Amino acid sequence: MTATIVTPTGKKADADVRVRVRTSRLVLYTVLVAATGLMIGPFGWLIITGLKTTPELAASPVHWLPDRFQWHNFADAFTQIDFLGYARNSLIIALIYATLVTLSSAWVGFGFARLDAPGKKVLFGILLGSMMLPQMITLFPTYLIFAKVGMVDTYWPWVLWGLSAAPYLVFLFRQFFAGMPRELEEAAIIDGCGYATVFWRIFLPQSRPVLAASFVIAFTWSWGDFLAPMLLLSSDRTTLSVAIMTQYVTPGGLPVNNLLAAGSVLYVVPILLIFLVAQRGFVAGMSTTGLK
Amino acid sequence: MTVGQIPQAVERPRSAARTGTGAVRSGGLPRTSMTARRHRAFYMFTSPWIVGFLLLTVGPMAYALWLSFTTFDGISPNWSFVGLANYRELLADQVTWDSLSRAGVFALTSVPLSIAAGLALAVLVNRPLRARGLWRTLLYLPAVVPPVGAGLVFKALFNRDSGAANGVLNIFGIDAIAWLDDPYARYVILMAVLWGAGNVMIISLAGLQDVPRELHEAARIDGASAWRTFRSVTVPLLSPVLLFQAVTGMIASVQTIMPLLIAANPTPAGVTAIPQTNYMYMMHVFAEYFALGRYGYASALLWVLFVLILIATGLIFKLTSGVVFYNVDPEAKK
Repeated sequence: MTATIVTPTGKKADADVRVRVRTSRLVLYTVLVAATGLMIGPFGWLIITGLKTTPELAASPVHWLPDRFQWHNFADAFTQIDFLGYARNSLIIALIYATLVTLSSAWVGFGFARLDAPGKKVLFGILLGSMMLPQMITLFPTYLIFAKVGMVDTYWPWVLWGLSAAPYLVFLFRQFFAGMPRELEEAAIIDGCGYATVFWRIFLPQSRPVLAASFVIAFTWSWGDFLAPMLLLSSDRTTLSVAIMTQYVTPGGLPVNNLLAAGSVLYVVPILLIFLVAQRGFVAGMSTTGLK
Repeated sequence: MTVGQIPQAVERPRSAARTGTGAVRSGGLPRTSMTARRHRAFYMFTSPWIVGFLLLTVGPMAYALWLSFTTFDGISPNWSFVGLANYRELLADQVTWDSLSRAGVFALTSVPLSIAAGLALAVLVNRPLRARGLWRTLLYLPAVVPPVGAGLVFKALFNRDSGAANGVLNIFGIDAIAWLDDPYARYVILMAVLWGAGNVMIISLAGLQDVPRELHEAARIDGASAWRTFRSVTVPLLSPVLLFQAVTGMIASVQTIMPLLIAANPTPAGVTAIPQTNYMYMMHVFAEYFALGRYGYASALLWVLFVLILIATGLIFKLTSGVVFYNVDPEAKK
């Protein structure tokens, strides 16, 4: 039970250790496979649901696998709703938001990392505190204001959100810029360059990995957002996330579960692909901001 | 070598600024103007965030505070200023208390459970494994799925007729359960949230990798069991990370829209019809705003929640201040 001490004399003790290592490894991999099954299984079920016929979905008890894979469900998911149109809306909003918020956050992050002024400490405290601010709480009254100034059913809210930088991403850039050597800007400033030039010419080109991470993170936020587009956009200008949730229904209002499942798979897969391609920067960004 | 040089380099402009004021008299004007330039530049760079924060966060919150003292509904022109009447009404309404306690119970179950699950997964994939990167990716993947996707995954999994959950129950001879209705719907949102435990895993994993290996080895040499080492070495060193997870997890759980996403009709109009057990405080706020259009009353509910979150955050920090161990690296501190 306690740690086994391998005696030089005992061949039996040696074999004991080997058996123990083997069983503990067996337990380890069993737990690992079970955990992975629980994590991947639910998504697998979504795909299987998307491949069934409507009668198969209504059968009781559950029809585990479709008799024939209904691959055409995935094609029908495109035509049942204006899938590509909504995907285009999602894409436009996500590109606008991710581009703007990455640039503005880098800009603000540079200020916090490389410059100082009276009040900087307080502002930085507010920035960190606002990361914890519940976003949904501010979204509701923000909607009322956007409605008042006539920005409902336009993409302007995402432009404004993009321009005003995201605290989380500001922090990401700030951490990166703070680690760069002071000499980088000093020489340029003495040569008479402004800080804006230093930022554009020296710092921004150096921060490509962070730019990519920030862009991917912001893109996935926007692609996954449900409440803001649901409240702000009409049903034909809205994003894919809202359309999928609300539009795979029969004329009578009942959900068409197989097309809904197929459509959801098509909606999620681009995000999974982006993640798999950009995994490294994504995870690095997550853990930087999560830790410090 | 370079590590020692950085703090010095950081100090330099500051001392220049300090001597700068004295140097004006001796004709060192460029130095002060350099400092002034840096100050101006700081505000030029941070202004997008400052302006955005004022316009899109402080402004709306102030607007909501003002609305909370009125009967404004966006339509009728005859709204009036009613002082604290909205707050009195919400305190007297049983729905407020019920929805609040549901949100509290949900936070107190979902947050500890996802932290425990995430930490367990992190310890698991921090061991020497074959194809470790692949395991990590697979376990993290659900955390990348957008909330809408997660909601639909769990709707499919727990559908009364076509869901796998009832299929498994059927194997054991148990009758089908209407998972998406009362009283089971709350367990479905709990599971949907736990599905994203990969987030905690990835952040804890980064923390685990920062735990110096000598500490583990020393503990093992002293005869500590694996569990004891985990409890007395790993967890204390991870405690700042876990605290961060607790705070952000609490805030996220209070504003989860999962009840709406697994609802039969996930629109503002449908929010009043979601199962009672899932009608948590945020759903109540949402319904008062967008299903009923009572902007004044809803804003009062909103502000109560905002203050409660601030208090809860403060409490978590206060209660854990003696327990959380900050392993501050003197080298890293400027």
